[in-house]
Amino acid sequence: MKLNYKVIASFLGSLLGFNALFMLACLVASYYYQDESWDALWKSIGITMACAIVLFAIGRGHQKNISKKEAYLVVTLGWILMTLSGCLPYIFNGDIPSFASAVFETMSGYTTTGASVLTDIEAVDKGILLWRSTTHWIGGMGIIVLTIAILPILGIGGMQLFNAESPGLKADKINPRITGTAKRLWALYFLLTLLETVLLKYSGMGWFDALNHAFSTMSTGGFSTKNASIMHYDYNQAIQWIIIVFMFVAGMNFALTYFAFVGNFKKIIHDHEFRFYATVVLVGALVSTAVVWIQETSPGWNFPFRDSLFQVVAVVTTTGFVSADMTLDPLLSTIFFMLLFAGGMTGSTAGGIKSVRHLLIFRNSWMEFKRLLHPNAVLPIRLNKAAVRGRVTFNIMAFVIIYFLIFAFSSLTMSLLGEDFMTSIGVAASCLGNVGPALGSASPVGNYASISEAGKLFLSFIMLVGRLELFTVLILFTPFYWRKY
Amino acid sequence: MRILIAGAGEVGYHVAKLLDNEKQNIFIIDENQHHLDRIDTNLDAVTIKGDATSPEVLLQGEVSKADLLISVTSSQANNLNIAMLGKKLGAKKTIARISNIAYFDRKFGIDFKEMGIDKLISPEMLAAEEIYSLVKQPYFTNYMAFDNGLLHLAGIRLDDRCLLSGKFITETEHLNPDRSFLPVAIRKVKDTIIPRGDTKFEIGDYVYFISKPEGLDRIIHLTGRDEMKVRNVMIMGGSRVGRHTARMLSSNYKVKLIELDEKRCFDISDEQPNIMVIRGDGRDTDLLEEESIREMDAFLSVTGNPATNIMACLTAKNYGVEKTIALVETGDDVQISKAIGIDTLINKKLIAASNIFQYIRQGKVLNMSGLVGMNAELLEFEVSKGDPITRAPLKELKFPKGALIGGAVRNHEAIITLGNFQAQPGDHIVVFSLPHCIQQVEKFFR
Repeated sequence: MKLNYKVIASFLGSLLGFNALFMLACLVASYYYQDESWDALWKSIGITMACAIVLFAIGRGHQKNISKKEAYLVVTLGWILMTLSGCLPYIFNGDIPSFASAVFETMSGYTTTGASVLTDIEAVDKGILLWRSTTHWIGGMGIIVLTIAILPILGIGGMQLFNAESPGLKADKINPRITGTAKRLWALYFLLTLLETVLLKYSGMGWFDALNHAFSTMSTGGFSTKNASIMHYDYNQAIQWIIIVFMFVAGMNFALTYFAFVGNFKKIIHDHEFRFYATVVLVGALVSTAVVWIQETSPGWNFPFRDSLFQVVAVVTTTGFVSADMTLDPLLSTIFFMLLFAGGMTGSTAGGIKSVRHLLIFRNSWMEFKRLLHPNAVLPIRLNKAAVRGRVTFNIMAFVIIYFLIFAFSSLTMSLLGEDFMTSIGVAASCLGNVGPALGSASPVGNYASISEAGKLFLSFIMLVGRLELFTVLILFTPFYWRKY
Repeated sequence: MRILIAGAGEVGYHVAKLLDNEKQNIFIIDENQHHLDRIDTNLDAVTIKGDATSPEVLLQGEVSKADLLISVTSSQANNLNIAMLGKKLGAKKTIARISNIAYFDRKFGIDFKEMGIDKLISPEMLAAEEIYSLVKQPYFTNYMAFDNGLLHLAGIRLDDRCLLSGKFITETEHLNPDRSFLPVAIRKVKDTIIPRGDTKFEIGDYVYFISKPEGLDRIIHLTGRDEMKVRNVMIMGGSRVGRHTARMLSSNYKVKLIELDEKRCFDISDEQPNIMVIRGDGRDTDLLEEESIREMDAFLSVTGNPATNIMACLTAKNYGVEKTIALVETGDDVQISKAIGIDTLINKKLIAASNIFQYIRQGKVLNMSGLVGMNAELLEFEVSKGDPITRAPLKELKFPKGALIGGAVRNHEAIITLGNFQAQPGDHIVVFSLPHCIQQVEKFFR
């Protein structure tokens, strides 16, 4: 089968055009705040638009239909191309002159990771900072489309649970047309962002900071406009709680949030994945609170429960905001390291392994004992009352195994590139899960600036792999993909 | 009454047979000549060969003059279709056989009457209900409750544990001081009799009792079945009957269901989380042992193959399962079931036929049902003013010898009727009758 390059080109062209539009918005901010990023943004917009036009020209007269094979390529290339265009403002404005670092920062934005190489964030021009948060927000929108429209079709890692595969979940469809669903979810995403911005503003932030943090929260990204992240607002209870709630919502399945939005709360309460997600968050927060109280080795945790809840929500939803450093105590470090593998719910902007996969693997392992006793019994695992087909279970197990293999491989690579043990495993887990803060030199109070150029490029790739649910990117490296038949 | 039956399969045949006893005018349509030949040789009915979904064929059967159209072909879609067409062509009432029980569910609020279908019946559902009531009352081989549970009918086989065996009915009266139950029909080796004072209970007899709720325990005690308690149930076969039964049982019993087909296993397991589905052949004794057949209190074999069902039940009996029920296709003779050692044989088509029959007799007759395994019928009448039955106490009426008034319900209170009972208007009266006496019995109620 020949790939339909024209449709790919035209698709990428529209993505870049989209990017340029958002840059234009940042240009407005730059003009408003009279900062020095005006030129850099102009240049970036020009180059991006030019590329978009070239791609459109190539893709002229394309046939509309896009096959599975092309979908894999479009998604991966789309994220890469967006990153290449998105890193231009950093380079032109001189905030991040190195190409590798700029790519890392941008990829971290689009994949909603929130790992940063900037050491003095507050000194950066406002136009650029807004662009930085905007990359998160765009990434979040991309993920919504990806999880509701593209991944189910590609059948990746049990994501087809959202598809018609399992009868019990059919009702998750908000609108019979995928575009209809996407529009509604985008509207919801937009409204939630707006709501958070307003709430943050009236809790004491400026409009600029409020908007940036709202962008970061709703996309579960984690870029802050403050050097100390949310720790900056340690004594503003309102801001802390608003961010906790919105992070938690952003980590929820958007389809479920939509149902709550239209008044159907039952659906959320009865959803098994939601219960699991909420339990992990709550238990994690309580354990963390206990550790902080008992160990007394974590200075700066002025509000142990709130800080614990904040940190657990931030890590589980893979947002990666920091309101207290959780790497001071060894026990706490271990707990939070493990939480790096949790992830929010499917259909959210969160990364990581995700709750439903953990839940199904737990259930399957438990059922395995019963299966030993009743070798002839048909004992499927269940999710929301429906039985999950064996193929889906295998797919999920494959996902988790590959996830851990990639984690091992990345840790090893980072060590080979000269990082110490803690940093290596920390950044590998954090980038693969799109969380942000890690251990060692990339701890919540440190950042990724000290990592080598090669390491940054490698981690950018890992972020992408993690963001696109592994298979989407990795399939491009298999011989089956490129075979013509 | 003019009755048109579409489909001369097992259900159609049995309905026709019951109606034939009543001397009704029967027209029956089927595409299969063999089915029609069987009707022609055994019954007095007009047979029409053709596709009943076609209006011409329905008109051949004089559907416009029919008082009732019964559509019982094997296809649900055809049955609905025939019933609706028939109604439009002038049939007064229509009955359609269906297989999807969701049609019974009130929550969908579908008005089938408006569509031209007066009654829906599902043989599978009826069979499942019957099996369910037998598991709930495991002491009895046949069981039924009516008038909202005020009166119960229980069929039981007398064995050596029974305290009644070898005694005349008059001798057993002291065992039933408060008259809470009454034997109403007894099947001796081949003949069904309506018991009199000089009838003797013998081991091997199959007896139907009518009883007030409080009498059931006494019957259980007198027949020596006190210790029976069902907790674990094994169902073999994931047929519709099996699935319906499992669904009904799953809330109160531990149910294991054995099914051979893998896909079907998954679907059942998907649909019913509370039961354990085992994939395998229920005739495989190793499998049965592995799934602890010895711990089972009831074994229900409901696959599509009667021979398999009987074999499986025998195997289960052999492992000491107290209660076994097999689904069969033809006949449901208690003597056969006794001879082969299975508690109850269920014939869903026969059950469906009596259910339809009951519907036909509605009106004056509140309830009517053939007693399973007996050559006798149960009829429940509502007494109106001026009925001959109200004229004198029972012992002074010349009630036919082949019939017996077993019980009555007056003002929501059950009465076991004896000789000095006198009927009043408004009473519901339950009569047991040999078939040839039914018409004589009916005279007392008009």
